[in-house]
Amino acid sequence: MNKYLDKTIIELNQLLKEKKITPLDLVLEAFARIEKEHELNAFITLNKEEALKEAKKLETMEVDNLLFGLPIAIKDNILTKNLRTTCASHMLDNFIPIYDATVVEKIKEKHMIIIGKTNMDEFAMGSSSRTSYFGAPRNPWNKQKIAGGSSGGSATTVAARLLPLALGSDTGGSIRQPASYCGIVGMKPTYGRISRYGLVAFASSLDQIGPMTRNVYENALFLNSLVGKDEKDLTSSKKEREDFTRKIGQEIKGMKFAIPNYFMSDIVTEEIRDRIKEVIQLLEKKGATVDYIDIAYLENAVTLYQIIAMGEASSNLARFDGIRYGHSKENPKDIDDLYYGSREEGFGEEVKRRIMVGSYILSGDNAKKYYDKALSIRSDIRTSFLKAFEKYDLIIGPTTTTTAYDLTDPMDDPLKTFLDDVLVIPVNMAGLPGLNVPVAFSKDHMPIGLHIIGKPFDEATIYQLASFIEKELNLDLNPKGSDENE
Amino acid sequence: MQEKLSISEVKHVAELAKIRISDNEQEKYQIELKKIFNELEKIEEVKDYDEEIIITPTEEKCQLRKDEIGQMVNPKDMLKNVPRHSGNYIEVPVVINE
Repeated sequence: MNKYLDKTIIELNQLLKEKKITPLDLVLEAFARIEKEHELNAFITLNKEEALKEAKKLETMEVDNLLFGLPIAIKDNILTKNLRTTCASHMLDNFIPIYDATVVEKIKEKHMIIIGKTNMDEFAMGSSSRTSYFGAPRNPWNKQKIAGGSSGGSATTVAARLLPLALGSDTGGSIRQPASYCGIVGMKPTYGRISRYGLVAFASSLDQIGPMTRNVYENALFLNSLVGKDEKDLTSSKKEREDFTRKIGQEIKGMKFAIPNYFMSDIVTEEIRDRIKEVIQLLEKKGATVDYIDIAYLENAVTLYQIIAMGEASSNLARFDGIRYGHSKENPKDIDDLYYGSREEGFGEEVKRRIMVGSYILSGDNAKKYYDKALSIRSDIRTSFLKAFEKYDLIIGPTTTTTAYDLTDPMDDPLKTFLDDVLVIPVNMAGLPGLNVPVAFSKDHMPIGLHIIGKPFDEATIYQLASFIEKELNLDLNPKGSDENE
Repeated sequence: MQEKLSISEVKHVAELAKIRISDNEQEKYQIELKKIFNELEKIEEVKDYDEEIIITPTEEKCQLRKDEIGQMVNPKDMLKNVPRHSGNYIEVPVVINE
């Protein structure tokens, strides 16, 4: 098999420009890799026919940008015109979108080639991708372990080197946490940075689409192509486009970083804390300062998340009524039977539970008791972060409290899935950008990630630090590569 | 602390969510929902906080687009995903007394 897809994007661009390879070579290699690694269960739907057609079409075109002709995977909660989009739910397992999400339009404008739709937790509700109607994706570092979630299929795809680029979405860590478990780079940009138009809504005030890649530079490059004001998403930012790669390669001497004490408390395994401390020592050695600080209400962030995310989800998922699209109960007795029956049959357990809790939270006096209060404390968390950023360039810590656990670990605790994301949720609460970069491996050779949090719209500085660390550590992040070296 | 919701509480919550749950699922939800509700109660412990709320975590004002005719959905395309339709009409069960 060819090994073009192990090359960097810059190398591939050069080969494409020189006509030494064609987009078709890359697409064929991509499908061969996916086929060979089918047991990873990374994809729900493949787009083979269209992808081959598109690749042939591109052969006659000029290579006009760095992402031209590259194969890409899209998380299955982002709408792709005429390509099935299921949200990993029985509710949508026959749903064919009639329009593209704004990010998908942008991807097509750059002539990237959509290879398929990646596996995920049902409606992005989960932290292990095990709530998928299509079965869980597997972690390429150890196939008996979870890939994380909810963007587990996208993380697996990139980590296993099936494709160089994937899109994920992050409501409470769903890009960064699987990125950490799978040893890749995943960015949740600032809220509003990327249009959410065409992202199937989970919790609208938290959701954000973001890039998942093999390394930091390619992540920044990919983000360049995804951002911009969109008339169709009124929360999308008016901020000018910028080059997110511009600080990559700069020194970190004199920079100031902070670690919230809570992020290094005993909720995190000792092994992960030790590896993060080694990164801190490296940063200090290179002339940066690292202080321990307190951020208000971090220990309450999971509760706030449960209230806000489930409340918003119950409202967003009210649209699934069995009438306009999605699963519909056969031969309903009456309109209520149609509503109740379609939702009973169409939604999985985790989704049902969250809709029920969310509906309860927003009903009657509960809205004030829970939801309004959560929004107030949410405001305090954001204020506390912004205050810290008056003094510090970036906030850092571990991305996850453990490494990826076994696929067979029990799923009977309804709170476990939230606790997996305890370190990444506060970033969505505050609407900040956050990124995972791999920094170490555990004793059983599972990836450990560093979480880097930036000021609103300061993704460029996050990439600066992430690329600095990546270069210093120079880890072998190819699960296959490691085997070959042994 | 009570370890599970009553059956009528579970039914009430399911009703709010417009989700039917079978009799043999009830006990599971009595325990699971109670566990989550207990967790939500932790918000009561937070006393000293600012009343100001945040709905969308951004300082930018949300701007509405101009009220102009733009991209339109073609009814034929739209109906592709409709489970039951007759011509350009979406079919639903009778909702008024026959």
